[in-house]
Amino acid sequence: MALNKLWVIAIRDLGRNRRRSILTILAVTLGLAILILMSSYIAGIIDGSISDSIYLNTGHLQVRTEGYEPEKASLQWQDLLENWDEVQARASAIEGVEAIAPVLWARGFLTTADETIGVRITGIDPGSGFHDPIHQSLVAGEYLGAEDRGGVLIGKHLADSLGINAGSKINLLVGTSDGEMDEDTFAVRGVFSTGVLTYDEGTVYMTLSKAQALTGAGDRISAMIVLTKDTEIAEPVAAALRGQGRSVVTWQDMNALILQAVETGMSFYYLLYGIVILVVAVIITNTLLMSVFERTREIGILAALGMKGRQIRVMILLEAGSLAILGIIGGIILGSLIVWYLMVTGIPIGDQIASMAQGFAMRSVLYTKFVPGDMVGLSVAMLVIVLLGALYPASFAARLEPVEALHAL
Amino acid sequence: MYAIELENVVRTYQIGDVMTHALDGVSLRFAEGEFTAVVGPSGSGKTTMLQLMGCLDRPNSGVVKVGGQDVTNLNANKRADLRREKIGFIFQFFALVPVLTAYENVELPLLLNGVNSRERKERVDELLNAVGLADRSAHRPDQMSGGEQQRVAIARALAPRPLLVLADEPTANLDTDNGTQAMEIMQRLNSETGTAFIFATHDPRVMVHARRVIELQDGRVVSNGESAQ
Repeated sequence: MALNKLWVIAIRDLGRNRRRSILTILAVTLGLAILILMSSYIAGIIDGSISDSIYLNTGHLQVRTEGYEPEKASLQWQDLLENWDEVQARASAIEGVEAIAPVLWARGFLTTADETIGVRITGIDPGSGFHDPIHQSLVAGEYLGAEDRGGVLIGKHLADSLGINAGSKINLLVGTSDGEMDEDTFAVRGVFSTGVLTYDEGTVYMTLSKAQALTGAGDRISAMIVLTKDTEIAEPVAAALRGQGRSVVTWQDMNALILQAVETGMSFYYLLYGIVILVVAVIITNTLLMSVFERTREIGILAALGMKGRQIRVMILLEAGSLAILGIIGGIILGSLIVWYLMVTGIPIGDQIASMAQGFAMRSVLYTKFVPGDMVGLSVAMLVIVLLGALYPASFAARLEPVEALHAL
Repeated sequence: MYAIELENVVRTYQIGDVMTHALDGVSLRFAEGEFTAVVGPSGSGKTTMLQLMGCLDRPNSGVVKVGGQDVTNLNANKRADLRREKIGFIFQFFALVPVLTAYENVELPLLLNGVNSRERKERVDELLNAVGLADRSAHRPDQMSGGEQQRVAIARALAPRPLLVLADEPTANLDTDNGTQAMEIMQRLNSETGTAFIFATHDPRVMVHARRVIELQDGRVVSNGESAQ
């Protein structure tokens, strides 16, 4: 029998109990919208977190000495990179390298008249394009000049918590290469707000030359940060920069914690996906079983007319497929609308939660991200699960004995 | 050749611990083109006999032949093929597919038989015309009266040009006028097409039209005669 006629019967059967069909379609729609939202939310966090970490902190690559340990922010000369001009020259000659930034990191304390707070001091070349995001996120004051030796940039959270602003004077107490502490007074030249709490509450930027002078590092740096065109070419660029006495670490190494957390988190999310899909499948199975029970005699009539079990099974599966496709279209539309809305407005999770994500570049406002591949994958998974859920009622209908079916009420 | 032959057919049902003999050694032959009523009180085995003849059910013992072919032990698919090609059904409760129009209901067995669209249209129009429902072809069952629905069912039963039509209490839910009209249509189509009609019925109106009346009681044939008509 022509499939299109079976389809006509299937579609019209769905119209017989409209309320039930609409509620079932709604279940598929909501289920898929939740899945799409979850997946774009996770993608948004992962993508945002890794991208923030790369563009505000680690870069795609860092060239360091082999012994350098970033957690310690060591200023021992043997841990610092000398003659980095040569690395800089080599890196700038490689195609796909977008920015190069020599940095010196040190730990210190920022003190005002009332308070002392531990901070990470970062000596930068203000002219390097790598620091453009900081420049662009200034909310008060101005950016550092190339020769600025008396000014610093601080994050807005830090400024607010200390009650200071652009133009205020602060004291910095900094550990030095010989293990002593040194102190100097600076003017807050500008206040930046990246939206990532880790950076906005704990980082102080000053010019590289001032940082080198203050810490006694000479002309050495902690690392040469390299930003490449995209993550794909980071590895070949890294290979080109490796050399005697220095190591090159990639963004994966530097963001291992985030990547590992993502991997661990994903299994949990897959479990949630599974539960949502299973609930939808149960609803579909229930709807179709009720529908089959109500139409038992009718199925008996179709069997009496000579319709085979296989055709009856296909008819019920077409009903399920129609419900699923309508629900999936609804789910994609609803899911996309919510994702789009949250892409624009973001989901405020609050500073306290963001600050709990230690080691993560977590923003206090999270944004969703469209991942068309995930959307297609989830829609297909939904369709497959719905059809699997429909197999039982479809087989039940196909196995009905005509004589018994005809006698059903 | 006979349209249907039953040889010593036994059909029993077990209900709880009680074994009921619905048909107890029935042997009957129905010629092609017959117009026969099977009568008897409720529980006499009329419906069971029709179901066995229609390949909807299988006997516990005995042989059922349709058009000379032994169908007793055919599997479900083969029986479905046989029903589709050779047997039309008319039920007491009209039994149309509610989501299909009159036209589509009559067309359904033709679709199942793989008849092409041009032939289907000719056949459906011809049959709806024959049962006087050409102007109701686009109506669905719930938009038609009981009499009209049963006439659509008659048209549907005849659509695949079957060897025989089995009708279980076809007039039981119809008023006198509609019942008589349905019987007259079936009688006319029987003579025009040569399709055998076999009815299970209580209804004297049906018996009046029948050329042969078979009487069952307690699953046995008590009379195998012909009507006075």
